[in-house]
Amino acid sequence: MGQVGAGASGEVIEQAPIEPAQRRRFSANALLDGFFFVYAGIAAVWLAWLVLTESFSFGWFGILFFVAFWLVLAYLVLPRLHRILTTVYVPDYFIGRARTSDGLLGDPVNLAFDGGEASLHAAMRRAGWTRADDVTGASSWRIVSSTITRRSYDEAPVSPLFLFGRQQDFAYQQEVAGNPAKRHHVRFWRTPDGWLLPGGRRVDWLAAGTFDRAVGFSLFTLQITHKIDADIDVERDHIVDTVTAANPEAGVEMLADFSTGYHSRNGGGDTIRTDGDLPVVDVGAVPVEQEAER
Amino acid sequence: MSVEKRPAFESHGELVSPAPVAPSMRRPVATTFGAVLVVLRVLAGVVWLVSLAVQWRQVLIEDLGVPLDSDASADAGSNAVLTLVLVAGGSVLAVELVLALLIYRGSNWARITVMVFATLSVAWSAVDYFGADAEITLRTTLITLALDILVLLALSSRNARAYARRPRSAKRRQRG
Repeated sequence: MGQVGAGASGEVIEQAPIEPAQRRRFSANALLDGFFFVYAGIAAVWLAWLVLTESFSFGWFGILFFVAFWLVLAYLVLPRLHRILTTVYVPDYFIGRARTSDGLLGDPVNLAFDGGEASLHAAMRRAGWTRADDVTGASSWRIVSSTITRRSYDEAPVSPLFLFGRQQDFAYQQEVAGNPAKRHHVRFWRTPDGWLLPGGRRVDWLAAGTFDRAVGFSLFTLQITHKIDADIDVERDHIVDTVTAANPEAGVEMLADFSTGYHSRNGGGDTIRTDGDLPVVDVGAVPVEQEAER
Repeated sequence: MSVEKRPAFESHGELVSPAPVAPSMRRPVATTFGAVLVVLRVLAGVVWLVSLAVQWRQVLIEDLGVPLDSDASADAGSNAVLTLVLVAGGSVLAVELVLALLIYRGSNWARITVMVFATLSVAWSAVDYFGADAEITLRTTLITLALDILVLLALSSRNARAYARRPRSAKRRQRG
């Protein structure tokens, strides 16, 4: 439900290249859409207020209303307000950070890959990573049912993050034995044709790898989210190590101090620390397996 | 190359710029949810019409101040008005139900139409609430108002927008 307000429920872009929607100089339709987008945001604030004031007039039953107020606020109102405000004040060019569906700054981009898509998939599979399912109704339901029955779901989808205005092309993850709250995961984005990293290096893929250490309440967005481990370099090195160990053909070039050591927060308000190095893993020479494993 | 200072913020025009669309886009949850909400809104409308029909005499006498002095002709007249109101309300609801189906199938004009009506309805409630001091409680109109606002939120979201405005040729390819 929250995803509706957030616009988070991702359309899944697979294989199909993105066609930039035609840009006209002026479109009444688009203007109308912008108006509805903002109007609905303001109306949602009012709705949250009404639900909150209602919660006092129902006695103990009002606690339910209070929960409803929190749901409306955290999953509908704040995402929409964030979306409106960040559209205006967060720069829309590459700043080394992915953005959440609300437009907030998300996980830092801390990996790059060279090579074709098939080689990349092969390299990740051989390194013991599982491709995450796309967010759909079926996979969402499977998350719920596997949580209830305490069965493991190691292809569980990851939340959408955006780079170059696009949701990740795909994501890989590794489960931590018997603990659904913890997992390694890394998201991949294909860079636009001819796009160069700051500094002029061309890479085919950018990736953001972080380690989910727990599920918790974010004071930033007021939502229940995965908390990520602050030391993101550990996860970055884990990904590079597993890939290079399983694929002797892969080479690594380190762009030292790519993003100079900075301390910041991700979209859920978790602190992140990094030394700023950006490993570029070349998986172009990894042989593509013939057997269709998936 | 331009050497002008870049503004410290992005253009407000970004808010109305179209969202990127993948031709193979599947129906997003926002669109499904929006269509379901419109159906719920129709159900709420049915409940409202039924309760109006049940309390019709009371509404006429107490709320609208129409005197109904056990006059046979006035009675017949009031019944005719009630029928008219029910038929009009019923057809509006039927149209909304069709619009819900069209939204589910990805029609943009249906989405815009429903949002226009939801906008007007919310604005009407807001004027009532802030201007005329009408109480908005669960017992009166909170449910319909909440549904209107949720419909607006769902259908105006970027995913729903992108889905409704996706390239049509892609849609045909998908179906065929």
